[in-house]
Amino acid sequence: MIAVRGVDVSIAGRLLLAGLDFGIAESEIVAVLGPNGVGKTTLLRALAAMHPVERGSIRVDDADVASLTAAARARRIAFVTADDALTDALSVRDVVAIGRYPHHEWWEWSATPADRDAVERALAEVRMDAYADRLLGTLSSGERQRIFIALGLAQETPVLLLDEPTSHLDVRVAHEILALLHDLARQGKSVVCVLHDLNEAAAHADRILLLGDGRLLASGDAESVFRPDVLEAAYGLPMETVRTAGGIRVFPATSR
Amino acid sequence: MALRLAALFAVALFAAGIGLLVGGTQLSVGQVAHALTHAHEGGPVATIVWQLRLPRVCIAAVVGACLAVAGALLQGMLRNPIVDPYITGVSAGAATAIVLAVIAGVSPAIAPSLGFVAGLATAVFVAALARRGSGIDVNRLILAGISLSALFSAFLSLALARAQSENYAASIVSWLAGSMAGRTWSDLLAATPYVALGMIGAASVAPALNALRVGDVRARAVGVDVARAQWVILGSSSLLAAASVALAGIVGFVGLIVPHVARRVVGSDARPLLPACAFAGAALCILADAVARTIVAPGELPIGVLLAFIGVPAFLYLYLNRERAA
Repeated sequence: MIAVRGVDVSIAGRLLLAGLDFGIAESEIVAVLGPNGVGKTTLLRALAAMHPVERGSIRVDDADVASLTAAARARRIAFVTADDALTDALSVRDVVAIGRYPHHEWWEWSATPADRDAVERALAEVRMDAYADRLLGTLSSGERQRIFIALGLAQETPVLLLDEPTSHLDVRVAHEILALLHDLARQGKSVVCVLHDLNEAAAHADRILLLGDGRLLASGDAESVFRPDVLEAAYGLPMETVRTAGGIRVFPATSR
Repeated sequence: MALRLAALFAVALFAAGIGLLVGGTQLSVGQVAHALTHAHEGGPVATIVWQLRLPRVCIAAVVGACLAVAGALLQGMLRNPIVDPYITGVSAGAATAIVLAVIAGVSPAIAPSLGFVAGLATAVFVAALARRGSGIDVNRLILAGISLSALFSAFLSLALARAQSENYAASIVSWLAGSMAGRTWSDLLAATPYVALGMIGAASVAPALNALRVGDVRARAVGVDVARAQWVILGSSSLLAAASVALAGIVGFVGLIVPHVARRVVGSDARPLLPACAFAGAALCILADAVARTIVAPGELPIGVLLAFIGVPAFLYLYLNRERAA
Protein backbone atom coordinates (compact mmCIF):
# COMPACT_ATOMS: atom_id res chain seq x y z
CA MET A 1 0.00 0.00 0.00
CA ILE A 2 2.62 2.57 1.14
CA ALA A 3 6.24 1.91 0.16
CA VAL A 4 9.01 4.16 1.47
CA ARG A 5 12.37 3.51 -0.19
CA GLY A 6 15.66 5.21 0.73
CA VAL A 7 14.00 8.43 1.85
CA ASP A 8 15.84 11.36 3.43
CA VAL A 9 13.73 14.06 5.08
CA SER A 10 15.01 17.60 5.75
CA ILE A 11 13.46 20.74 7.07
CA ALA A 12 14.89 24.20 6.36
CA GLY A 13 18.10 22.63 5.02
CA ARG A 14 18.64 20.48 8.12
CA LEU A 15 18.66 16.70 7.59
CA LEU A 16 16.22 15.16 10.07
CA LEU A 17 15.88 11.55 9.00
CA ALA A 18 18.05 9.55 6.61
CA GLY A 19 17.75 6.24 4.79
CA LEU A 20 14.15 5.44 5.70
CA ASP A 21 12.90 2.13 4.33
CA PHE A 22 9.57 0.72 5.34
CA GLY A 23 6.22 -0.36 4.01
CA ILE A 24 2.72 -0.12 5.38
CA ALA A 25 0.12 -2.66 4.39
CA GLU A 26 -3.61 -2.50 3.85
CA SER A 27 -5.69 -2.89 7.02
CA GLU A 28 -2.69 -2.03 9.16
CA ILE A 29 -2.49 0.62 11.88
CA VAL A 30 1.03 1.88 12.47
CA ALA A 31 2.19 4.23 15.22
CA VAL A 32 5.15 6.55 14.63
CA LEU A 33 7.02 7.26 17.87
CA GLY A 34 10.10 9.23 18.79
CA PRO A 35 11.32 12.22 20.78
CA ASN A 36 10.21 15.80 20.09
CA GLY A 37 11.94 17.32 17.10
CA VAL A 38 13.03 13.99 15.61
CA GLY A 39 10.90 14.61 12.52
CA LYS A 40 7.72 12.61 13.10
CA THR A 41 5.40 15.32 11.80
CA THR A 42 7.72 16.11 8.90
CA LEU A 43 7.81 12.42 7.95
CA LEU A 44 4.02 12.27 8.09
CA ARG A 45 3.78 15.35 5.85
CA ALA A 46 6.26 13.77 3.46
CA LEU A 47 4.05 10.65 3.33
CA ALA A 48 1.16 12.98 2.45
CA ALA A 49 3.28 14.65 -0.29
CA MET A 50 2.92 17.93 1.56
CA HIS A 51 6.64 18.11 2.25
CA PRO A 52 9.31 17.29 -0.36
CA VAL A 53 11.78 14.48 0.29
CA GLU A 54 15.50 15.00 -0.34
CA ARG A 55 16.11 11.53 -1.70
CA GLY A 56 14.27 8.29 -2.34
CA SER A 57 10.64 7.68 -3.20
CA ILE A 58 7.30 7.35 -1.47
CA ARG A 59 4.75 5.32 -3.39
CA VAL A 60 1.11 4.80 -2.59
CA ASP A 61 -0.61 2.09 -4.64
CA ASP A 62 2.35 2.12 -7.04
CA ALA A 63 2.08 5.84 -7.76
CA ASP A 64 4.94 8.12 -6.70
CA VAL A 65 3.18 10.65 -4.45
CA ALA A 66 5.46 13.47 -5.63
CA SER A 67 4.20 13.06 -9.19
CA LEU A 68 0.49 13.26 -8.31
CA THR A 69 -1.57 16.44 -8.65
CA ALA A 70 -2.80 17.86 -5.37
CA ALA A 71 -6.32 16.59 -5.98
CA ALA A 72 -5.20 13.12 -7.08
CA ARG A 73 -3.01 12.89 -4.00
CA ALA A 74 -5.92 13.98 -1.77
CA ARG A 75 -8.05 11.19 -3.25
CA ARG A 76 -5.44 8.65 -2.09
CA ILE A 77 -4.15 10.12 1.16
CA ALA A 78 -6.04 11.91 3.93
CA PHE A 79 -3.94 13.90 6.39
CA VAL A 80 -5.38 14.94 9.76
CA THR A 81 -3.22 17.72 11.18
CA ALA A 82 -2.63 18.45 14.85
CA ASP A 83 -3.12 22.19 14.22
CA ASP A 84 -5.61 23.87 16.48
CA ALA A 85 -9.13 23.98 15.16
CA LEU A 86 -9.73 27.61 14.26
CA THR A 87 -12.88 28.42 16.13
CA ASP A 88 -15.31 29.24 13.44
CA ALA A 89 -18.96 29.45 12.69
CA LEU A 90 -18.84 26.56 10.23
CA SER A 91 -21.32 23.77 10.89
CA VAL A 92 -20.01 20.27 11.50
CA ARG A 93 -21.55 19.06 8.25
CA ASP A 94 -19.88 21.89 6.29
CA VAL A 95 -16.52 21.04 7.85
CA VAL A 96 -16.78 17.37 6.93
CA ALA A 97 -17.96 18.32 3.43
CA ILE A 98 -14.58 20.02 2.87
CA GLY A 99 -13.24 16.47 2.50
CA ARG A 100 -15.12 16.25 -0.81
CA TYR A 101 -12.97 19.03 -2.34
CA PRO A 102 -10.60 16.71 -4.27
CA HIS A 103 -13.56 14.93 -5.87
CA HIS A 104 -14.65 18.06 -7.75
CA GLU A 105 -13.38 20.38 -10.44
CA TRP A 106 -13.52 24.03 -9.45
CA TRP A 107 -16.59 24.75 -11.54
CA GLU A 108 -18.53 21.84 -10.02
CA TRP A 109 -20.22 23.77 -7.27
CA SER A 110 -23.08 21.63 -6.16
CA ALA A 111 -22.81 18.62 -3.88
CA THR A 112 -23.67 15.32 -5.57
CA PRO A 113 -25.59 12.48 -3.89
CA ALA A 114 -22.20 10.71 -3.60
CA ASP A 115 -20.87 13.71 -1.65
CA ARG A 116 -23.81 13.73 0.72
CA ASP A 117 -23.51 9.96 1.27
CA ALA A 118 -19.78 10.23 1.96
CA VAL A 119 -20.32 13.03 4.49
CA GLU A 120 -23.13 11.22 6.32
CA ARG A 121 -21.16 7.96 6.31
CA ALA A 122 -18.05 9.70 7.68
CA LEU A 123 -20.09 11.33 10.45
CA ALA A 124 -21.66 8.00 11.32
CA GLU A 125 -18.27 6.26 11.38
CA VAL A 126 -16.94 8.68 13.99
CA ARG A 127 -20.35 8.49 15.74
CA MET A 128 -20.98 12.21 15.39
CA ASP A 129 -24.04 12.07 13.13
CA ALA A 130 -26.18 13.65 15.83
CA TYR A 131 -23.86 16.69 15.80
CA ALA A 132 -24.12 17.47 12.07
CA ASP A 133 -25.89 20.80 12.51
CA ARG A 134 -23.85 22.02 15.49
CA LEU A 135 -21.23 24.72 15.00
CA LEU A 136 -17.63 23.57 15.18
CA GLY A 137 -16.86 26.18 17.84
CA THR A 138 -19.36 24.60 20.24
CA LEU A 139 -17.63 21.19 20.36
CA SER A 140 -15.10 19.83 22.88
CA SER A 141 -11.53 19.00 21.77
CA GLY A 142 -12.33 15.30 21.52
CA GLU A 143 -15.45 15.96 19.47
CA ARG A 144 -13.52 18.32 17.18
CA GLN A 145 -10.86 15.66 16.67
CA ARG A 146 -13.59 13.23 15.61
CA ILE A 147 -14.93 15.81 13.15
CA PHE A 148 -11.50 16.32 11.58
CA ILE A 149 -11.08 12.56 11.30
CA ALA A 150 -14.50 12.50 9.61
CA LEU A 151 -13.25 15.19 7.21
CA GLY A 152 -10.42 12.82 6.30
CA LEU A 153 -12.84 9.89 5.95
CA ALA A 154 -15.06 11.92 3.62
CA GLN A 155 -12.09 12.07 1.25
CA GLU A 156 -12.61 8.30 0.82
CA THR A 157 -8.90 7.52 0.64
CA PRO A 158 -7.19 4.17 1.18
CA VAL A 159 -4.59 5.90 3.39
CA LEU A 160 -5.30 7.88 6.58
CA LEU A 161 -2.44 9.80 8.24
CA LEU A 162 -2.91 11.47 11.62
CA ASP A 163 -0.58 13.79 13.49
CA GLU A 164 -0.96 13.39 17.26
CA PRO A 165 -4.66 12.54 17.15
CA THR A 166 -4.78 12.09 20.93
CA SER A 167 -2.92 15.14 22.25
CA HIS A 168 -4.91 17.29 24.66
CA LEU A 169 -7.47 14.53 25.07
CA ASP A 170 -8.35 12.83 28.32
CA VAL A 171 -7.59 9.14 28.70
CA ARG A 172 -11.08 7.90 27.86
CA VAL A 173 -11.51 10.10 24.77
CA ALA A 174 -7.99 9.22 23.60
CA HIS A 175 -8.83 5.55 23.98
CA GLU A 176 -12.04 5.98 21.98
CA ILE A 177 -10.22 7.79 19.16
CA LEU A 178 -7.56 5.07 18.94
CA ALA A 179 -10.17 2.32 19.06
CA LEU A 180 -11.92 4.09 16.19
CA LEU A 181 -8.68 4.24 14.17
CA HIS A 182 -8.14 0.55 14.90
CA ASP A 183 -11.61 -0.23 13.54
CA LEU A 184 -10.93 1.86 10.44
CA ALA A 185 -7.77 -0.13 9.80
CA ARG A 186 -9.72 -3.36 10.19
CA GLN A 187 -12.13 -2.11 7.53
CA GLY A 188 -9.23 -1.92 5.07
CA LYS A 189 -7.53 1.45 5.47
CA SER A 190 -3.83 1.92 6.02
CA VAL A 191 -3.68 4.10 9.14
CA VAL A 192 -0.48 5.86 10.25
CA CYS A 193 -0.53 8.04 13.35
CA VAL A 194 2.12 9.99 15.16
CA LEU A 195 1.73 9.38 18.90
CA HIS A 196 3.55 10.54 22.01
CA ASP A 197 2.20 8.06 24.50
CA LEU A 198 4.17 4.82 24.14
CA ASN A 199 1.53 2.79 25.95
CA GLU A 200 -1.27 4.05 23.71
CA ALA A 201 0.83 2.86 20.78
CA ALA A 202 1.45 -0.52 22.44
CA ALA A 203 -2.26 -0.99 23.10
CA HIS A 204 -3.66 0.03 19.71
CA ALA A 205 -1.06 -0.21 16.93
CA ASP A 206 -0.30 -3.31 14.89
CA ARG A 207 3.20 -2.04 14.37
CA ILE A 208 5.43 0.67 15.78
CA LEU A 209 8.03 2.73 13.92
CA LEU A 210 10.45 4.17 16.46
CA LEU A 211 12.44 7.16 15.22
CA GLY A 212 15.57 8.45 16.94
CA ASP A 213 19.08 9.60 16.22
CA GLY A 214 18.12 10.71 12.68
CA ARG A 215 16.91 7.32 11.49
CA LEU A 216 14.41 4.52 11.93
CA LEU A 217 15.66 2.83 15.13
CA ALA A 218 13.20 -0.03 15.24
CA SER A 219 10.12 -1.34 13.51
CA GLY A 220 7.84 -4.12 14.67
CA ASP A 221 5.22 -4.94 17.27
CA ALA A 222 5.45 -3.48 20.77
CA GLU A 223 7.11 -6.64 22.15
CA SER A 224 10.02 -6.34 19.76
CA VAL A 225 10.40 -2.52 19.74
CA PHE A 226 9.96 -1.78 23.43
CA ARG A 227 13.33 -3.01 24.66
CA PRO A 228 14.94 -0.83 27.34
CA ASP A 229 18.16 -0.31 25.34
CA VAL A 230 16.30 0.72 22.16
CA LEU A 231 13.98 3.08 24.03
CA GLU A 232 16.90 4.67 25.88
CA ALA A 233 18.68 5.18 22.56
CA ALA A 234 15.60 6.98 21.24
CA TYR A 235 14.64 9.11 24.20
CA GLY A 236 17.93 9.40 26.13
CA LEU A 237 16.18 8.27 29.28
CA PRO A 238 16.45 4.92 31.08
CA MET A 239 13.23 2.96 30.62
CA GLU A 240 11.75 -0.16 32.11
CA THR A 241 9.10 -2.44 30.70
CA VAL A 242 6.29 -4.19 32.52
CA ARG A 243 4.18 -7.03 31.26
CA THR A 244 0.45 -6.59 31.93
CA ALA A 245 -2.61 -8.54 30.92
CA GLY A 246 -3.01 -6.09 28.01
CA GLY A 247 0.58 -6.59 26.82
CA ILE A 248 3.89 -4.82 27.32
CA ARG A 249 3.93 -1.33 28.87
CA VAL A 250 6.79 1.16 29.32
CA PHE A 251 7.75 3.63 32.04
CA PRO A 252 10.74 5.90 32.73
CA ALA A 253 13.09 4.11 35.08
CA THR A 254 13.80 7.15 37.22
CA SER A 255 12.34 7.60 40.67
CA ARG A 256 11.87 11.36 40.13
CA MET B 1 -30.94 26.62 0.23
CA ALA B 2 -32.03 27.34 -3.34
CA LEU B 3 -35.25 28.71 -1.87
CA ARG B 4 -33.40 31.10 0.41
CA LEU B 5 -31.21 32.31 -2.44
CA ALA B 6 -34.31 32.82 -4.57
CA ALA B 7 -35.87 34.81 -1.73
CA LEU B 8 -32.81 37.08 -1.53
CA PHE B 9 -32.93 37.54 -5.30
CA ALA B 10 -36.60 38.48 -5.01
CA VAL B 11 -35.69 41.04 -2.33
CA ALA B 12 -33.13 42.55 -4.71
CA LEU B 13 -35.72 42.72 -7.50
CA PHE B 14 -38.22 44.31 -5.14
CA ALA B 15 -35.59 46.87 -4.12
CA ALA B 16 -34.96 47.61 -7.80
CA GLY B 17 -38.69 48.22 -8.24
CA ILE B 18 -38.66 50.72 -5.39
CA GLY B 19 -35.54 52.33 -6.83
CA LEU B 20 -37.35 52.89 -10.12
CA LEU B 21 -40.49 54.26 -8.48
CA VAL B 22 -39.07 56.87 -6.13
CA GLY B 23 -37.50 60.13 -7.17
CA GLY B 24 -38.11 63.80 -7.82
CA THR B 25 -40.91 63.16 -10.32
CA GLN B 26 -43.93 61.13 -9.17
CA LEU B 27 -44.35 58.12 -11.44
CA SER B 28 -46.93 55.38 -11.03
CA VAL B 29 -46.14 51.66 -11.21
CA GLY B 30 -48.00 51.55 -14.54
CA GLN B 31 -45.96 54.39 -16.04
CA VAL B 32 -42.66 52.78 -14.99
CA ALA B 33 -43.75 49.36 -16.27
CA HIS B 34 -44.89 50.87 -19.56
CA ALA B 35 -41.61 52.75 -20.00
CA LEU B 36 -39.60 49.59 -19.23
CA THR B 37 -41.50 47.45 -21.73
CA HIS B 38 -41.62 50.13 -24.46
CA ALA B 39 -38.02 51.25 -24.54
CA HIS B 40 -38.18 52.94 -27.95
CA GLU B 41 -41.28 55.05 -27.43
CA GLY B 42 -39.44 58.04 -26.00
CA GLY B 43 -41.06 60.83 -24.00
CA PRO B 44 -40.23 62.32 -20.61
CA VAL B 45 -41.23 59.23 -18.59
CA ALA B 46 -39.03 56.98 -20.70
CA THR B 47 -36.13 59.40 -20.29
CA ILE B 48 -36.52 59.47 -16.52
CA VAL B 49 -36.76 55.69 -16.28
CA TRP B 50 -34.12 54.74 -18.85
CA GLN B 51 -31.58 57.57 -18.47
CA LEU B 52 -31.90 58.58 -14.83
CA ARG B 53 -33.32 55.89 -12.59
CA LEU B 54 -32.44 52.57 -14.22
CA PRO B 55 -28.71 53.34 -14.57
CA ARG B 56 -28.60 54.37 -10.92
CA VAL B 57 -30.43 51.27 -9.81
CA CYS B 58 -28.07 49.11 -11.86
CA ILE B 59 -24.98 50.94 -10.63
CA ALA B 60 -26.16 50.70 -7.01
CA ALA B 61 -26.81 46.97 -7.51
CA VAL B 62 -23.35 46.41 -8.99
CA VAL B 63 -21.62 48.47 -6.28
CA GLY B 64 -23.48 46.62 -3.51
CA ALA B 65 -22.83 43.21 -5.03
CA CYS B 66 -19.13 43.95 -5.60
CA LEU B 67 -18.52 45.23 -2.09
CA ALA B 68 -20.44 42.43 -0.38
CA VAL B 69 -18.74 39.66 -2.38
CA ALA B 70 -15.30 41.24 -1.86
CA GLY B 71 -16.03 41.49 1.87
CA ALA B 72 -17.09 37.85 2.08
CA LEU B 73 -13.97 36.73 0.19
CA LEU B 74 -11.59 38.62 2.47
CA GLN B 75 -13.42 37.77 5.69
CA GLY B 76 -13.18 34.12 4.70
CA MET B 77 -9.55 34.15 3.66
CA LEU B 78 -8.35 36.23 6.62
CA ARG B 79 -10.62 34.25 9.00
CA ASN B 80 -11.54 37.60 10.44
CA PRO B 81 -15.16 38.72 10.63
CA ILE B 82 -14.38 42.44 11.00
CA VAL B 83 -12.46 42.81 7.76
CA ASP B 84 -13.97 44.92 4.99
CA PRO B 85 -13.04 45.13 1.28
CA TYR B 86 -11.00 48.29 1.89
CA ILE B 87 -8.56 46.43 4.17
CA THR B 88 -6.20 46.10 1.20
CA GLY B 89 -5.95 49.89 0.95
CA VAL B 90 -8.11 50.23 -2.15
CA SER B 91 -10.20 53.10 -0.84
CA ALA B 92 -7.38 55.01 0.84
CA GLY B 93 -5.15 54.76 -2.23
CA ALA B 94 -7.95 55.80 -4.57
CA ALA B 95 -9.03 58.72 -2.40
CA THR B 96 -5.52 60.11 -1.99
CA ALA B 97 -4.73 59.89 -5.68
CA ILE B 98 -7.97 61.59 -6.67
CA VAL B 99 -7.64 64.39 -4.14
CA LEU B 100 -4.05 65.09 -5.14
CA ALA B 101 -5.00 65.03 -8.83
CA VAL B 102 -7.94 67.40 -8.37
CA ILE B 103 -5.78 69.80 -6.34
CA ALA B 104 -3.12 69.62 -9.03
CA GLY B 105 -5.75 70.88 -11.44
CA VAL B 106 -6.73 67.67 -13.19
CA SER B 107 -10.39 67.53 -14.21
CA PRO B 108 -12.62 65.76 -11.66
CA ALA B 109 -14.02 63.79 -14.60
CA ILE B 110 -10.96 61.58 -14.41
CA ALA B 111 -11.77 60.60 -10.80
CA PRO B 112 -13.37 57.20 -11.51
CA SER B 113 -10.58 55.80 -13.67
CA LEU B 114 -7.87 57.33 -11.53
CA GLY B 115 -9.53 55.93 -8.41
CA PHE B 116 -9.69 52.50 -10.00
CA VAL B 117 -6.03 52.46 -10.99
CA ALA B 118 -4.71 53.97 -7.75
CA GLY B 119 -6.90 51.68 -5.62
CA LEU B 120 -5.72 48.60 -7.45
CA ALA B 121 -2.09 49.76 -7.30
CA THR B 122 -2.36 50.20 -3.54
CA ALA B 123 -3.81 46.70 -3.18
CA VAL B 124 -0.93 45.28 -5.24
CA PHE B 125 1.57 47.11 -3.03
CA VAL B 126 -0.11 45.82 0.15
CA ALA B 127 -0.13 42.30 -1.28
CA ALA B 128 3.58 42.59 -2.11
CA LEU B 129 4.30 43.62 1.48
CA ALA B 130 2.23 40.69 2.78
CA ARG B 131 3.87 38.10 0.55
CA ARG B 132 5.59 35.20 2.25
CA GLY B 133 6.97 32.30 0.24
CA SER B 134 4.62 31.76 -2.65
CA GLY B 135 1.55 32.71 -0.63
CA ILE B 136 0.25 35.48 1.60
CA ASP B 137 0.62 35.89 5.34
CA VAL B 138 -2.79 36.98 6.57
CA ASN B 139 -1.50 38.91 9.57
CA ARG B 140 0.99 40.80 7.44
CA LEU B 141 -1.79 41.59 4.97
CA ILE B 142 -3.96 43.13 7.68
CA LEU B 143 -1.03 45.07 9.18
CA ALA B 144 0.19 46.35 5.81
CA GLY B 145 -3.34 47.32 4.75
CA ILE B 146 -4.10 49.19 7.95
CA SER B 147 -0.71 50.95 8.00
CA LEU B 148 -0.90 52.12 4.40
CA SER B 149 -4.51 53.22 4.84
CA ALA B 150 -3.48 55.29 7.87
CA LEU B 151 -0.64 56.87 5.92
CA PHE B 152 -2.92 57.76 3.02
CA SER B 153 -5.53 59.17 5.40
CA ALA B 154 -2.88 61.52 6.75
CA PHE B 155 -2.07 62.67 3.21
CA LEU B 156 -5.76 63.09 2.58
CA SER B 157 -6.34 65.23 5.67
CA LEU B 158 -3.39 67.41 4.78
CA ALA B 159 -4.59 67.84 1.21
CA LEU B 160 -8.14 68.64 2.29
CA ALA B 161 -6.93 71.15 4.86
CA ARG B 162 -4.87 72.93 2.21
CA ALA B 163 -7.72 72.76 -0.29
CA GLN B 164 -10.41 74.13 1.99
CA SER B 165 -10.52 77.61 0.48
CA GLU B 166 -10.93 76.26 -3.02
CA ASN B 167 -14.35 75.46 -4.41
CA TYR B 168 -13.52 71.90 -5.38
CA ALA B 169 -13.16 70.79 -1.78
CA ALA B 170 -16.89 70.18 -1.65
CA SER B 171 -16.85 67.88 -4.67
CA ILE B 172 -13.95 65.91 -3.21
CA VAL B 173 -15.70 65.54 0.11
CA SER B 174 -18.89 64.35 -1.51
CA TRP B 175 -16.93 61.79 -3.55
CA LEU B 176 -15.25 60.54 -0.40
CA ALA B 177 -18.62 60.08 1.25
CA GLY B 178 -19.79 57.92 -1.64
CA SER B 179 -22.30 58.98 -4.26
CA MET B 180 -23.78 57.75 -7.50
CA ALA B 181 -25.04 61.17 -8.57
CA GLY B 182 -24.50 61.85 -12.25
CA ARG B 183 -23.36 58.32 -13.09
CA THR B 184 -24.52 57.00 -16.45
CA TRP B 185 -24.65 53.82 -18.48
CA SER B 186 -21.19 54.54 -19.89
CA ASP B 187 -19.66 54.51 -16.38
CA LEU B 188 -21.29 51.15 -15.76
CA LEU B 189 -20.11 49.83 -19.11
CA ALA B 190 -16.53 50.88 -18.35
CA ALA B 191 -16.57 49.00 -15.04
CA THR B 192 -18.24 45.85 -16.39
CA PRO B 193 -15.13 43.92 -17.53
CA TYR B 194 -13.46 44.34 -14.14
CA VAL B 195 -16.63 43.41 -12.26
CA ALA B 196 -17.05 40.34 -14.46
CA LEU B 197 -13.44 39.29 -13.97
CA GLY B 198 -13.71 39.77 -10.20
CA MET B 199 -16.94 37.79 -10.00
CA ILE B 200 -15.56 34.91 -12.08
CA GLY B 201 -12.49 34.84 -9.82
CA ALA B 202 -14.72 34.81 -6.75
CA ALA B 203 -16.81 31.96 -8.14
CA SER B 204 -13.72 29.93 -8.97
CA VAL B 205 -12.37 30.01 -5.39
CA ALA B 206 -15.62 29.42 -3.50
CA PRO B 207 -14.94 25.71 -2.75
CA ALA B 208 -11.34 26.50 -1.76
CA LEU B 209 -12.57 29.32 0.47
CA ASN B 210 -14.49 26.78 2.57
CA ALA B 211 -11.37 24.68 3.01
CA LEU B 212 -9.20 27.71 3.91
CA ARG B 213 -11.51 28.50 6.79
CA VAL B 214 -10.39 25.41 8.72
CA GLY B 215 -6.72 26.32 8.29
CA ASP B 216 -4.10 26.35 5.56
CA VAL B 217 -2.74 22.88 6.41
CA ARG B 218 -6.17 21.26 6.24
CA ALA B 219 -6.85 23.10 2.98
CA ARG B 220 -3.60 21.77 1.49
CA ALA B 221 -4.41 18.29 2.76
CA VAL B 222 -7.64 18.16 0.73
CA GLY B 223 -5.79 19.32 -2.38
CA VAL B 224 -6.21 23.12 -2.34
CA ASP B 225 -3.34 25.10 -3.91
CA VAL B 226 -3.35 27.54 -0.99
CA ALA B 227 -1.03 30.16 -2.51
CA ARG B 228 -2.98 30.28 -5.77
CA ALA B 229 -6.32 30.48 -3.95
CA GLN B 230 -4.99 33.38 -1.84
CA TRP B 231 -3.85 35.33 -4.90
CA VAL B 232 -7.16 34.75 -6.69
CA ILE B 233 -9.10 35.87 -3.61
CA LEU B 234 -6.94 38.96 -3.17
CA GLY B 235 -7.00 39.81 -6.87
CA SER B 236 -10.76 39.34 -7.23
CA SER B 237 -11.65 41.26 -4.09
CA SER B 238 -9.34 44.13 -5.05
CA LEU B 239 -10.82 44.30 -8.56
CA LEU B 240 -14.36 44.31 -7.17
CA ALA B 241 -13.56 46.95 -4.55
CA ALA B 242 -11.71 49.15 -7.05
CA ALA B 243 -14.59 48.88 -9.55
CA SER B 244 -17.05 49.94 -6.88
CA VAL B 245 -14.82 52.88 -5.90
CA ALA B 246 -14.71 53.95 -9.54
CA LEU B 247 -18.52 53.77 -9.75
CA ALA B 248 -19.58 55.31 -6.46
CA GLY B 249 -16.62 56.61 -4.48
CA ILE B 250 -16.14 55.21 -1.02
CA VAL B 251 -19.23 53.38 0.17
CA GLY B 252 -18.54 51.99 3.59
CA PHE B 253 -20.08 49.21 5.69
CA VAL B 254 -21.72 47.27 2.85
CA GLY B 255 -18.70 45.02 2.53
CA LEU B 256 -18.54 44.57 6.28
CA ILE B 257 -22.20 44.01 7.19
CA VAL B 258 -23.78 42.27 4.23
CA PRO B 259 -21.65 39.08 4.55
CA HIS B 260 -22.80 38.82 8.18
CA VAL B 261 -26.44 39.20 7.22
CA ALA B 262 -26.09 36.77 4.30
CA ARG B 263 -24.41 34.19 6.56
CA ARG B 264 -27.45 34.31 8.81
CA VAL B 265 -29.70 33.53 5.88
CA VAL B 266 -27.77 30.85 3.96
CA GLY B 267 -25.08 29.69 6.43
CA SER B 268 -21.34 29.91 6.01
CA ASP B 269 -20.73 27.57 3.05
CA ALA B 270 -19.08 29.93 0.52
CA ARG B 271 -20.96 28.46 -2.42
CA PRO B 272 -24.41 29.76 -1.46
CA LEU B 273 -22.85 32.61 0.55
CA LEU B 274 -21.24 34.47 -2.38
CA PRO B 275 -24.43 34.75 -4.49
CA ALA B 276 -26.39 35.55 -1.33
CA CYS B 277 -23.96 38.42 -0.63
CA ALA B 278 -24.33 39.68 -4.19
CA PHE B 279 -28.16 39.77 -3.93
CA ALA B 280 -28.27 41.23 -0.42
CA GLY B 281 -25.57 43.81 -1.19
CA ALA B 282 -27.39 44.87 -4.35
CA ALA B 283 -30.69 45.19 -2.47
CA LEU B 284 -29.13 47.22 0.34
CA CYS B 285 -27.35 49.66 -1.97
CA ILE B 286 -30.38 50.15 -4.25
CA LEU B 287 -32.57 50.96 -1.24
CA ALA B 288 -29.93 53.18 0.36
CA ASP B 289 -29.49 55.09 -2.90
CA ALA B 290 -33.26 55.48 -3.25
CA VAL B 291 -33.43 56.97 0.24
CA ALA B 292 -30.29 59.07 -0.33
CA ARG B 293 -31.77 60.82 -3.36
CA THR B 294 -35.25 61.40 -1.94
CA ILE B 295 -34.86 62.14 1.76
CA VAL B 296 -33.53 65.69 1.27
CA ALA B 297 -34.86 66.20 -2.31
CA PRO B 298 -34.05 68.06 -4.46
CA GLY B 299 -30.64 67.60 -2.82
CA GLU B 300 -28.91 64.28 -2.20
CA LEU B 301 -27.40 62.67 0.86
CA PRO B 302 -24.10 60.87 0.22
CA ILE B 303 -24.91 57.14 0.22
CA GLY B 304 -21.81 56.40 2.29
CA VAL B 305 -23.07 58.68 5.05
CA LEU B 306 -26.53 57.17 4.93
CA LEU B 307 -25.17 53.62 5.08
CA ALA B 308 -23.03 54.52 8.06
CA PHE B 309 -26.10 55.88 9.85
CA ILE B 310 -28.03 52.67 9.20
CA GLY B 311 -25.11 50.30 9.02
CA VAL B 312 -23.23 50.98 12.22
CA PRO B 313 -26.13 50.43 14.63
CA ALA B 314 -27.27 47.42 12.60
CA PHE B 315 -23.78 45.93 12.69
CA LEU B 316 -23.33 46.55 16.39
CA TYR B 317 -26.67 44.92 17.07
CA LEU B 318 -26.05 41.92 14.81
CA TYR B 319 -22.50 41.21 15.77
CA LEU B 320 -22.32 42.09 19.45
CA ASN B 321 -25.66 40.45 20.09
CA ARG B 322 -24.52 37.23 18.49
CA GLU B 323 -21.22 37.29 20.36
CA ARG B 324 -23.09 37.63 23.62
CA ALA B 325 -25.41 34.77 22.71
CA ALA B 326 -22.45 32.55 21.79
